[in-house]
Amino acid sequence: MMPTALIADDEPLLRESLKRLLAQTWPELKVVAIERNGRAAVESFEALKPDVCFLDVHMPGLSGIEAARFIGRRAHIVFVTAFDQYAVQAFDQGALDYLVKPVEIARLNDTVARLQSRLQAAQSIPDTEALLDQLAARVYKHAQPQTLRWLRISVGKTLRVVSVDEIDFLRSDNKYTLVAWHDASGKPAEGLLRTPLKDLIAQLDAEQFVQIHRAVAVNITAISHVVRDDSEKASIHLKHRTDVLPVSRTFIHHFKMM
Amino acid sequence: MDQSSPPTVGQHLRRIYGWPRLRVVLPVCLFWIAMFSMTWEVAYWILAARILFIGLSALTIFGIFEYWPRRLPGWVARWVVQVVMVGAIIPVVVAIGYTVTTIGLDPPWWRDNPRLEGFFVFTFLGMLQAPWISVAALLKKIKNEALTQALTFDLERSQYEKQALNARLRLLQAQVEPHFLFNTLANVRELVITGSPHAPKVLNSLIAYLRAAVPRLNQPMANMGQELDLVRAYLEVMHMRMPDRLQFTLHADESARALLCPPMTLLTLVENAMRHGIDPAEEGGRIDIRVILQGTECVAEVVDTGLGVHKTSEGLGTGLANLRERLQLAFGDDATVMLTPVQPRGTLAVVRFPVKRGDE
Repeated sequence: MMPTALIADDEPLLRESLKRLLAQTWPELKVVAIERNGRAAVESFEALKPDVCFLDVHMPGLSGIEAARFIGRRAHIVFVTAFDQYAVQAFDQGALDYLVKPVEIARLNDTVARLQSRLQAAQSIPDTEALLDQLAARVYKHAQPQTLRWLRISVGKTLRVVSVDEIDFLRSDNKYTLVAWHDASGKPAEGLLRTPLKDLIAQLDAEQFVQIHRAVAVNITAISHVVRDDSEKASIHLKHRTDVLPVSRTFIHHFKMM
Repeated sequence: MDQSSPPTVGQHLRRIYGWPRLRVVLPVCLFWIAMFSMTWEVAYWILAARILFIGLSALTIFGIFEYWPRRLPGWVARWVVQVVMVGAIIPVVVAIGYTVTTIGLDPPWWRDNPRLEGFFVFTFLGMLQAPWISVAALLKKIKNEALTQALTFDLERSQYEKQALNARLRLLQAQVEPHFLFNTLANVRELVITGSPHAPKVLNSLIAYLRAAVPRLNQPMANMGQELDLVRAYLEVMHMRMPDRLQFTLHADESARALLCPPMTLLTLVENAMRHGIDPAEEGGRIDIRVILQGTECVAEVVDTGLGVHKTSEGLGTGLANLRERLQLAFGDDATVMLTPVQPRGTLAVVRFPVKRGDE
């Protein structure tokens, strides 16, 4: 079977450049997806499950490092970065493979040879979680936020990567959580997350997500306005959708000041 | 210095009875004790006590009116009050001195001729001398203050020069990030390899950017025309790298091109918009630049539709802080930098500075 690959870089010429260089050095490799950011890379990965992912470290939104975390041990990861002292230091310490832009053909040959031997030996992919943490800390020069920033949400058979900022509200659905969000154009969408609401809320920023009902939490920034029905009840109207969410008595105190 | 906060009572006391003052008052007292002791008929300690009491009282009054009342009417000079009060207090003090040292004696000192005579002699000599000593002290104080001021001024000037030098050094260090350079070169290489007709134009933009970004040490001021060319070169390079994520417009009054400004004034704002607004946004955005003349002021606006100033924005502080410093050095407090969020998304950066023309 022909090996498959995914390329992700936010700069179109560099995507093309890497694709062209790979065609020269590894003609059997089939590039099945070329993506422009980390989010699209993860979504493509989930749909196509390529063997190798070439990820630019600095991408808008979900970075290459965060995308690699989501992909985990399911593919061989090769990071691509322009000169970046911190990243290169971190790479040199560990088992992570990387290419420096502009990519040199000799260096790419080494990487390709390594990947080929790993794929042929069907070696299990090493766990790089700790290395990725270290890399993220070096590249971003500050502690990673303690709260969850991105969610992987199942919509039918496809998997979507959603920024928590895009979420409108969360509703408990047995052992799952229904996530209602809007995309960049404001179009609403829903999907399921395999985490119970209670566990999910614990991982989110408490200032951004407020529980309004035993089974519902809302993103404060998605609220358009709150209507107080009487002293005990209120309903929340959202910016991007027509749903009206009731606030139950237990949680009304969050909206006393609004 | 004492303008900064009102001194405490302790500080007052330390100054009033400080060694520099006692060093003057005590020898004068000792001199007169010695002079009078030649013809003195009663106990020497009484003589010493009276003279020291007069001297220290005059010193106290001098010190009190140095600080009190805190505010004087504009037509009264403090030194006049001090000198007059020191003179006026002498008869009172001498009278007190005589009364205290002759308690229980009959007749009282003012009916005892030798004592009354002594009172007049002390009063006369005291009133003659104390104000002159006060004036001398005041002159010395004025001289010291002038010296301190000169030293402070020298210090401030050297600090200002150091600050200016630091600003230039930081400008030297800050330029051309390797990340920017190598990413751009990777793009250019791809254009060249694939024989793109855009290659020469992009290379020219990169060269223009690099030429301007390598700072000229002996040229503290650039003009707006150079700044605009630099910004256009930078944006053209960035547009080549992310054509789908960056749009931009540049509008400038033709008359604004000759205005002087610190180097990198406009570029700092545009790089900020790129780094913190457009680059982190998945869909990118646009940057609109406008440079206009408003009366005697130049207004440069950079507005982007990117992510906006975010909690995690890094390096935003240093770039802008350095720009503020350069503007402060060039224009003092007449130049301002303002950053405001824009609805629904993005940031507006405005720099205002006074019009200074150079030869383009």
